Amino acid sequence: MLSRIGVFTALKRSSQIPRVGSRALSVSQGLYNKTNDKIVQTPSTTQTDDAPRRKPLSRIAIGGTSNQSQRNSSGSIEFATWKAAALVLTIGGTLYYFFAKEKRRLEIEKEAEANRGYGKPLVGGPFKLTDFNGNEFTEQNLLGKFSILYFGFSHCPDICPDELDKLSLWLDELKKKGIEIQPIFITCDPARDPPHVLKEYLAEFHPDLIGLTGDYNAVKHACKQYRVYFSTPATLKPGQDYLVDHSIFFYLMDPEGQFIDALGRQYDEKTGVAKIQEHVNAYVPKDQREKRKDKWYSFLFN
Amino acid sequence: MGWFNKTKPMDDQSKPPLRSSRKQCWESRDGFFQCLDKISVVNALESKHEDAIQKSCKTEEGKFEEDCATSWIKYFKEKRVVDYKREKFMQEMESKNGQQIDLSGMIRK
Repeated sequence: MLSRIGVFTALKRSSQIPRVGSRALSVSQGLYNKTNDKIVQTPSTTQTDDAPRRKPLSRIAIGGTSNQSQRNSSGSIEFATWKAAALVLTIGGTLYYFFAKEKRRLEIEKEAEANRGYGKPLVGGPFKLTDFNGNEFTEQNLLGKFSILYFGFSHCPDICPDELDKLSLWLDELKKKGIEIQPIFITCDPARDPPHVLKEYLAEFHPDLIGLTGDYNAVKHACKQYRVYFSTPATLKPGQDYLVDHSIFFYLMDPEGQFIDALGRQYDEKTGVAKIQEHVNAYVPKDQREKRKDKWYSFLFN
Repeated sequence: MGWFNKTKPMDDQSKPPLRSSRKQCWESRDGFFQCLDKISVVNALESKHEDAIQKSCKTEEGKFEEDCATSWIKYFKEKRVVDYKREKFMQEMESKNGQQIDLSGMIRK
């Protein structure tokens, strides 16, 4: 919001540039008329009120009463330069702001582009799981919206619930900024997390969360697609209590179902939102990316 | 007592632990760990500390074990050791004028 106001005032100001400039000039002109002094031409005496403007320098008495007029002229110069300085600062600041912003946007876009990869995607790919309502959920369900994926298990002692709480805060914050993201929780512990358990577990976090599960092989395959590795103890008796080791990253996926970025635990409530927002804002749909490659300024994006 | 332990609600594998039960477990854990801090025990899994824990933190330990799932108990005790070592390492590095490098803003190429 703040940045938008900044842009608006900056635009308004830039449209005023000629007027501000001319006013600055006319003010100094006014001063000049009053004192009958010249900005460029140095010291003439105050007595020569009706003297022609272009008085040759040689006529000025050296060491005459130039002190006072110098003070006057320096006063008017200072005034004009003050305006000019303000003008330069405004334009410079505005340009700097735009370029810095655009540079950052391109950086983020490149980061996403690099992660998208070429040929076979590095992270992500087809999977087939069941959501907590019993419906099939595949990579096709990621299309058309940004998604954020998290892998975990309901019997997780402390990290997963903390991360899910953080995710809930992110989602609410992003929603306030008008960014809708589809949050998905994929269990690494299908044995203990059938759909109804996931539903009960996730109900305590965010209403938008979708829980995914499936048989062991389907889950293993989905995890592998996202380079998530988990391990369950080798010898398990039914009903036994155990923990699952797994990697903890949030995977941000674009509306084409392609991987953008992995967000680790270093992102807190605020920085995570900022990072996701940056990615969402920098996102350029595929057809536009393709089109842009043919433009004359395509070198900017390489 | 053994039977009672087996049927504690947190060990029910057919239900996910809920926010309230997690909170209770974490509070009991913090209580137990505070007690361990008092008697300067870091690794509660070491058998040499058993007597000291029995003597000073019996009630806290009982509550911790009652409120948390069995797998969590071991996990939290191990995590305490890891966290302690990490903390010690960071302090040591800081005393040697080490600087933490923030890698979160790096752009991967």
